[in-house]
Amino acid sequence: MTALYKKDLASYFYSPFAYAVCGLFMLVFSLSFVYGLSGITSLEFKFSFPDVFYNNFYYFIFIIPMLTMKSFAEERKTGTETLLFSSPISISSIVSAKFLAVSTVFGLMIALSLIYPTVTAVVGGVSVSRLICSYIGFICMGLFCISVGLLASSLTDNPIIAAAIGEGAMLILLFADFLSGTSFIRSNNILSFIFFWFSTRRRFDKFTLGVFSLSDVVFYLTGIAVVLIWIIIFMARRRDRRGK
Amino acid sequence: MIEIKNLSKRFGEIKAVKDLSFTVKEHEILGFLGPNGAGKTTTMSMLTGCLPPTKGSIAVNGYDIVKNPIEVKKSIGYLPEIPPVYTDMKVLEYLKFVAGIKKVPKEKIPQEIKYASNKLKITDIEKRLIKNLSKGYKQRVGFAGALLGRPKVLIFDEPTVGLDPNQILEVRTLIKELKSAHTIILSSHILAEITAVCDSALIISKGEMKAYDTIENLTATQSLEDVFVQLTKSK
Repeated sequence: MTALYKKDLASYFYSPFAYAVCGLFMLVFSLSFVYGLSGITSLEFKFSFPDVFYNNFYYFIFIIPMLTMKSFAEERKTGTETLLFSSPISISSIVSAKFLAVSTVFGLMIALSLIYPTVTAVVGGVSVSRLICSYIGFICMGLFCISVGLLASSLTDNPIIAAAIGEGAMLILLFADFLSGTSFIRSNNILSFIFFWFSTRRRFDKFTLGVFSLSDVVFYLTGIAVVLIWIIIFMARRRDRRGK
Repeated sequence: MIEIKNLSKRFGEIKAVKDLSFTVKEHEILGFLGPNGAGKTTTMSMLTGCLPPTKGSIAVNGYDIVKNPIEVKKSIGYLPEIPPVYTDMKVLEYLKFVAGIKKVPKEKIPQEIKYASNKLKITDIEKRLIKNLSKGYKQRVGFAGALLGRPKVLIFDEPTVGLDPNQILEVRTLIKELKSAHTIILSSHILAEITAVCDSALIISKGEMKAYDTIENLTATQSLEDVFVQLTKSK
């Protein structure tokens, strides 16, 4: 598993791809940060970063499928999947290694973003508790989106189609929250409850407001685990149908 | 070393492999012959654990592939028809990666890579990107990957497809050399290759076993080509 993790992680940096994605992320973060700063009216203002994370969120989740699109689809397209399936590693190890590799690139993006609160803390004040909550929410949401992106990649052998499915899934995640507010959904108690309960954005919003809820963290972790298990099942089924 | 009993594979209504049974002894080279679409690659995929059988059993090195897939896979080096190489990696990086996923002990990895690189004569291209290599060299890199960890069983699926005559001769010589340390299954539809390299041959057509014997017995009264045409021609 370690060898596959290292290979996958390194593959992001063989091309300018990971650098470009990190650059795009930083650009969006910078613009949101400048926008946030421009709203400061008092010198004693404590910068809490909720707006930065909130604004960044909408762009960020569309970056994720770009990172995950090649993970499984490319292996299948180029035939290297055969090497993985014939090696003494389990499908769950393959999925875990790929998830960890993308998560590490995501971790790098998170680490880069720390520059803004650090600079703000040096020259002004930062509301640390809200900042930590925002980061926890962002990390949870990011990891969940990564697992969904990987699921999209496991469904096809074309990375572009995987990216398109991933982007569609991200749109659904975003719009599920808006849909829950429509009169049709609200008129049905069960549907309304389902949409409300499964809304990832609603939970993310709570984090950006500085509200830490263990149940929300558990929700995200459970969601990640469920999606990863689906990937393992899809991979096993796909392996069983190879050559069909 | 390898024991196959009643191996079958179905894809929905299509029976790709029907009731194959054969054994391969230690240090034997078995030629797996059949026309295109006969079920050779499907059988190879099942032998290497890439595809589960619908029915039947596969035992390699004493381990059952269903009960003990990891041990079976540790005993097998597989070179599929299209070498499974990552083109954006350098040769040495690729070999290190393959050694890693094949669970070769860390301290043995450099010597294993040296052994495989020397055998395949790729030591001078270790620092080159795989995407810049010719088809023949890509094949050699894939071949070297299969040798890492010196698995007891080597399975090659049409290893000479797309190679020039010199490279074909080199690959055949190498396979014969490897016989002293490995048990080998070689899939091909090039009859001269099977006659030149293998001890025994198994002929399949439309997923069914048509003949299974030593090369001497198969070619005792007629050429392998005649045997092959007779057994595999469509009715």
